[in-house]
Amino acid sequence: MKAAVRSVKNFSKGYTDTQIKVRNATTNDSWGPSGTAMAEIAELTYDQNEMLEVMDIIDRRLNDKGKNWRHVFKSLSLLEYCLHNGSENVVRWAKDNIYIITTLREFVYVDDNGHDQGQNVRTKAKEITSLLEDEHALKEARGDSRE
Amino acid sequence: SSFRLQSDHMQSDASLMTSVRKATSIDETAPKRKHVRSCIIFTWDHHTARPFWTAIKVQPLLANEVQTFKALITIHRVLQEGHKSALVDSQSEKGWLKTCERQYDGESSPKGYSDLIRDYVDYLLDKLSFHAQHPEFNGTFEYKEYISLRQVDDPNEGYETVYDMMNLQDHIDEFQKQLFSNFKRSNKNECRIAALVPLVQESYGIYRFLTSMLRALYSTVDAPETLEPLKHRYKSQHHRLRQFYADCSNLRYLTSLISVPRLPHDPPDLEGDDN
Repeated sequence: MKAAVRSVKNFSKGYTDTQIKVRNATTNDSWGPSGTAMAEIAELTYDQNEMLEVMDIIDRRLNDKGKNWRHVFKSLSLLEYCLHNGSENVVRWAKDNIYIITTLREFVYVDDNGHDQGQNVRTKAKEITSLLEDEHALKEARGDSRE
Repeated sequence: SSFRLQSDHMQSDASLMTSVRKATSIDETAPKRKHVRSCIIFTWDHHTARPFWTAIKVQPLLANEVQTFKALITIHRVLQEGHKSALVDSQSEKGWLKTCERQYDGESSPKGYSDLIRDYVDYLLDKLSFHAQHPEFNGTFEYKEYISLRQVDDPNEGYETVYDMMNLQDHIDEFQKQLFSNFKRSNKNECRIAALVPLVQESYGIYRFLTSMLRALYSTVDAPETLEPLKHRYKSQHHRLRQFYADCSNLRYLTSLISVPRLPHDPPDLEGDDN
């Protein structure tokens, strides 16, 4: 049912194919994104226009509210994947907008059962911040993944 | 941020107003991170903190001690994590901070924040003066090696910077003690603890800077005995900071949010060659 609503939304809001791919990879479902989905998106970032669309959706998802912490967490995961495997432009985007990520290091969301779901987001945001601040680690991460 | 500017998700002044209002709500809790974060992001997207200050000043905050205290925390976070223009734009807002201080000049308030408000304003004014004097530092004193090296070209300037930072560090120490001694038994103290978070981050940034600058100074000056007073003070600050972090480690709410640094029992060696 949720998936059906999402596909209607994708259609009615006029999202492009690329935007839909990113939206589907960063849903509120408790699984995913799959390796294949992330690889496909990372590949798209080598095209300048597609890259902007990918980052546009990631940016929106990163600024989502606490209840949608999975949007935030999955966008961070996808961003991390693209930093490793995507185009150099992703790295530039992330460095230019690092405050979007650093400010998530204190992300808070406690669910109705009292579980602190923010922890996942905080940890991931810290990891990506350290990666972006360490030129050597970043080079290594990018070099290793592309042989 | 060239890419982000092309997109349409930049906040308007109206939504900033909402974020400030929600961050400074009347509930005695921590200012909600998502609203504080929106204020911080706004300064990066627009490269200015002026609309943020406008939003602060149009809220009827000063009549309520909790709201005033939450506003001070929010301002502190924006100074720390916001775009560097926040430090510059806030210099002209010292008047508002002083008004805030005067408002709570009398006897103690029902919820016990009036002393803390005065102490907080005092600290923020001190922090703003430091940044006006030393514009090369960012709001959290994040470690950048080149600054400590540059300072050391001129040992006098380096000495002065270290001295000013140590004063600020002492001020943080006084203020954190006030916060701890103001904890209420019947209360989760979340709102008070929320003020400790930026102090932990700021004091650690200062500590790391002082450590590397003092080492750099020791490696360049010809007469190391001139640095004795600084070394003495550094050691005493190390022990007090270590205690501060130990006290913070017992606050579950705080440790769930940030990792509190752990300092070694003894202060690090400043003069060794192996640094």
